[in-house]
Order: sequence, then C-alpha cells, then structure tokens
Amino acid sequence: MAVEGVTIAFRSSAVTCLLGPSGCGKTTLMRMIAGLERPTAGDVFFDDERVTDLPTRKRKIGMVFQYPVVYPGISVRRNIELPLLHEKHPETERRKRIDEVVEMLRLQDSIDTNVSRLDMATRQKVAVAREIARQPRFILFDEPITNVDVETKIQIRRALKVLTKQRKQTVIYVTHDQTDAMTLADQIALMNQGRIVQCDGPRALYDRPADVFGGWFLGNPGMNYFEQEVVEVGGAASIVSPLFPRPLRVIGRDLERRIVVGIRPEHVEIRGAPTPRAVRARILRKTIGVGGRYLLVAQVDGQVVKVKVAPEVGARAGDEAWLECPLKWVRVFGRDGGRRDVQLLDPAP
Amino acid sequence: MVAIELSEVTKSYGQKPVLRGLALSVEAGSFLVVCGPPACGKSVLVRMLTGLEKPSSGKILLRGRDATEQGPAERNVGYVPQSFALYPHYSVHENIAYPLTLMRMSRREIEPKVRQVSEQLKIAHLLGKSPNQLSGGEKQRVALARGIIKPTDVFVLDDPLTGLDFKLREQLFDDLRQLQQGLRATFVFMTSDPLEALALADQIAVLDGGRVVETGAVADVYRRPLHVRTMELLGAPPSNRLPGVLRRGAGEIRCDAGLFEFAVDASEAKVPPFDLQKVDVVIRPQDILLGAEGRDGLLGCRADVILEEDLGAEVVVFLRAGETPIVTVVPYGEREGTTEEGVTIGVDPAAVAVFAADTGIRLGQGVRHS
Repeated sequence: MAVEGVTIAFRSSAVTCLLGPSGCGKTTLMRMIAGLERPTAGDVFFDDERVTDLPTRKRKIGMVFQYPVVYPGISVRRNIELPLLHEKHPETERRKRIDEVVEMLRLQDSIDTNVSRLDMATRQKVAVAREIARQPRFILFDEPITNVDVETKIQIRRALKVLTKQRKQTVIYVTHDQTDAMTLADQIALMNQGRIVQCDGPRALYDRPADVFGGWFLGNPGMNYFEQEVVEVGGAASIVSPLFPRPLRVIGRDLERRIVVGIRPEHVEIRGAPTPRAVRARILRKTIGVGGRYLLVAQVDGQVVKVKVAPEVGARAGDEAWLECPLKWVRVFGRDGGRRDVQLLDPAP
Repeated sequence: MVAIELSEVTKSYGQKPVLRGLALSVEAGSFLVVCGPPACGKSVLVRMLTGLEKPSSGKILLRGRDATEQGPAERNVGYVPQSFALYPHYSVHENIAYPLTLMRMSRREIEPKVRQVSEQLKIAHLLGKSPNQLSGGEKQRVALARGIIKPTDVFVLDDPLTGLDFKLREQLFDDLRQLQQGLRATFVFMTSDPLEALALADQIAVLDGGRVVETGAVADVYRRPLHVRTMELLGAPPSNRLPGVLRRGAGEIRCDAGLFEFAVDASEAKVPPFDLQKVDVVIRPQDILLGAEGRDGLLGCRADVILEEDLGAEVVVFLRAGETPIVTVVPYGEREGTTEEGVTIGVDPAAVAVFAADTGIRLGQGVRHS
C-alpha cells in the first residue's frame, strides 16, 4: 500500500509541504491530487468540488516536476506566454505577468533564448516561471530542485518564498529535503510508510516531534537517541543515562519499563572542564557544518553522541570534553517510537 | 606514498580546453574530495583518472608508475559512477559480484568478498532480492557495493550520492568513511555540495576553470583559504563576495569594498599588491553579526532584512545594504525571530579575506584596530 488512510486539508494561500523519505507515499499522494492516479478508495475535493473522477487537464492546477518540462525549440518568453495565450489573457496582462515572473526568477538574461540551448537548472526555472504566471488555483511542486545546482536551488527557493508571501498563491510542495520544507512551508505534512505521521508548522514539528522518526528526519543531523530502562533508585522511578552524571527521576503516568530519550545535537553543550551536570566524553571526529559550526562525534560511556558547537570551540578529535544536556531540551519517547508525556527531573539540581 | 599524481594534464575537445595544465597529488590511504562549481571539469577529470579517455597532454602516474597510456582495464582503479544501472535480471548478490565474475574469479573467492562488502554497507539482508524490490537508497548502496568490491587500493567515486534523499546521504557519509578506512584505500570523491565535501574529506582539492586552484587538509584550507574559489565553495550558506579596490598609501594598504573600508594586512601575499588593484572581498555568513552597533573595531553598516529562513538549528537571514545583497546565519536560539526591517551589521575585519580579482589568489585579510 503506497498511501494509507490519509486525510488532510490543504489551506489556501499557504504552502503545505509533503515531506518524507523516498518510498513514503508523498509522490503517490501528490499524483492523486493532480489526477495522474486514481485513489483505490476515498476522495479528493477542491473546496467543495469532488474532483476524484476529474481528469488532470480539467483540474486547473499547475505542476512542476523533478525534471524541467518546457516547450522545446522556443524562447523563454514564449514558453511562459503560451499557456496565457491559451487562456486568452490580453496582451497587457500577459506582459505584466511575464515581467513579474522573469524578475522573480532572474531570467532576464535568457528571456529571448531558445530553451533547448539552456542548461537544466535554467530550464527548471522556466518551468517554475510558466506555472507561476498562470496563477492556477494551486501549484503542485514535485521535488523541483532535487537535480539542480546549489545556486539555482537558492534562487528558486527564494522566489517561491516571495510568491507565497506576497502573492498568496496556494502551493503543495513535495520533497525529501527538510531544508526545503523548513524554509518554504507554512505547514508540513510529515510522511512515513504511506501515512501522515504529523502535520504542523515547521517550528512546532522541529521542537516537538510526535515520534522518533520526526526527531530524526528533521535536523541536520537529527536527534541523538538513547534507549533507557526505567529502574528504581532510592524508591523512585529513574533512569541511569550516559548523558547525566547521576540517575534522573522519571515523572509521568503509566510509565513503561523502556523509554527512548532524545536530544538534538545543537542542544548538547560542551564544556572544557567538569561541571555539576556534565558527563565526560571523548571526541572521535570533528567536521565543519552549516554556518561554520562544528559537528562533533563524541563517545560517552560507549555510546555515540553528536554535538553541534560554535566555531570558537577549540576541542579536537582525540580530546576529552565535558557534555551537558539541559533537561528542557530532552524529549521522551516510548518503545513504539511515539512521544510520551514524561518529565525527567534532576534529583539534585 | 603518492597513489595518484597528475602533472600538466590538459584535455581539450576540439578547440575547447576543459582541463588546463592540471596538477594533483593524492597520498595513498587518504579520502580526497574534489569539489568545484558545475562545469569546472570534474567529470572530465574522472575520465582521465579512470582511463576512459586519455589526456591531450600531460602525465598521469598511478602508484608511482606512468599510467597515461593505460586503459581502464590495466589501471586497476575502481570506479563508482554517478548514475548507475543495476542489472534488473540479476539478484543483488549477482549485481555486486559482477565485477569479480568479469575478472573470472572463482565462486569460492567471490563469496567472502560479497559478504564483506554487503555487511559494510548494511545490505547483507538484501542479497537474495532483485533490484526492482529495492528502495532508492538501497539501490544506491548496492551500486556502491558493486563499485568498491574490486580488489584494488584506488577508487574514483563520481558524485555517487547526487539526487539521493538528504537523510540517506547523511547516513551514507559515515558508512563511506568507515568503508574507506576499512579498505585502507585511496578515495577520490567528486562533489559540488559543500556540506558533503566538508563532512567526508581528509583532503580537499578545489577545481576551477579546469585547474586545481587549491589543495590541502580540510581544516587548514577552511581556516585560511588561499584561493577565492575555496572560500566561496567551502561553506554553507555560500559566502558573501564584494568587489573592491586597494589603495596603497603611506606605509599602509587599505581596501575600499563599497560597504566597508579597512586596512589590509598583506604581509603573507605571494605577490605584493599594488595601488588600485581590483580585489574580491569575501566574508563568511557567520562573520556578519547582526545588531552589533558600537562594538569596538568592527566594520559596520546599515541593512534591511529581506528574508529569513528557519532551518531548525540555524536561521539564514538575507539582507540588503543599499544595493548589495548580504547573507548571514545565526544559531536559532540567538535570533529572536524579530523581523525588524533595519538593522546594523558588524564584521570583524580580521574575518574579511581579500583576493586578487584576476587570479583569485589570496592577498591578505583586514586588520582589526582596537
């Protein structure tokens, strides 16, 4: 089953991202919205109109695919203009829309060039421009920037941001790339194995993932996870975690025997010397990441912890370091991977 | 020992030179990442290294011996191509074993190698399956396994992770490094993705306009880039670049980059800078500080916030100072999410690198006066 029991409403004038790894069902879902595939069961509605049986060309939507789809042999300008001619827009309106969209996507230099002479990245910009100029009821993007270079990625992303914020276009954007989703989406529908596992604003999804999959999938890199057994220490339910120098009390209802504790790499703090809440670690590897921050792979009590630290941190591979995990950033999940409403308390703060 | 050496390698197609007197030296057992912008000559370099094509001029030495005239079969260099095709009618096992069957190795010798390589790439459980039963990521691992099973010590990997799920690539970074170390092999890995280069490399070679413009250990080359392309390529988000001009005055050199004007320390410049020399001034996004008014010794100017991108752990802020676009990045916790329009930005002059505009070679950096 590619998609299972999905119910979702896409808000108008907003960007909703279908985000998930390959094989999660996002493309199948998108194809059903577009009319390129029929659902085995269930319906698709646009506002109050049931479109499940409507062929794609009657759905009045725009689509941009992973590989650029352009009308070959004609100029960029003509490419953008053709659908507008088909929809019988007057010349002034066509010119206005073309100018707007060419400016947005920085196509000025190629506007009169035959698209067959342009590279793939520019052709993709043309495909995006054409759909935007049509101003359809919504535009579906299926991983449009997977195959373009970094510079073009940035340009297309920024154009989309402007498009949705200023022009109120409704967009459904399918991607496996969390950066796309985080930067573009008003709402992210996170998918895994045919289901939508969480639907939320980017920040909410990032800070409060509903399951370990969400905590792992979002984040560069994703959350660190530690499996813990809940034991009794001094008469209280506790865990003995490699991340804390002493057992932590576990507070919650219906406590299970095994939990998973998660913390994001950027929330683990590094110290040069021992502090009351720190544990000793050894740095295995240090690489440079986004914004020049370092990504450290450290070992604590035989377990691996990834830590994101400021460029000023001088610790190197092979060094000893002290790591602190502020409890406010720790998330607790059950053995099934779902989030649990469980608090961890330091008995001696 | 030097595993691979290229000297004065030139490759032209018709009149068009793509590689121009390229020089490269790769230590045995190292993980070298070759990075460069699109169309810099990476794919052609791959063809030179694997022997799929011969250079127009120059020499290629493998393991200390002249291999310039040798074809792929004689070179004994493993090759992982950018887009692979698994044989759909063979099982995963047969696909991986294929290069060894071609070499007429016996079943007894092939078996343990297939097992080893599939365990290293965590696909041992898929050996009996057929390619159409695999996900995209699994197919890539099988292709990698097939590429590296060859019993050799030098491998060329041509952007093998391109187009893959972001998360999958992340997982494969660790696997690739472990693989390389376990094999004790030399890896030459091509990519145009800066974060991929920074995550994988011991050594980096920056390719630009058909030449290697800089090589070195990744930490060194990042900390003090000697070529403008290095500083632009190695980092995410991409660095800010401003055109500028030098003024040689009484005992000091100053740079006018429009938004900023500052003294330059050019004491380590290989070629002395001259008056009115055109330069490129490069500043990394993380060195552009927001709301830094009045801090001692910093260069400052006013700018408007155009766009903010919340990446989760970081926020990228796009600004415009007059007509000049500027990009900065801050950890999420440090950006209160305010979208006030006008801000003051500050830069430590020591973080501003100056490169000759015509050659791209580093001249120096700004001087911070306290």
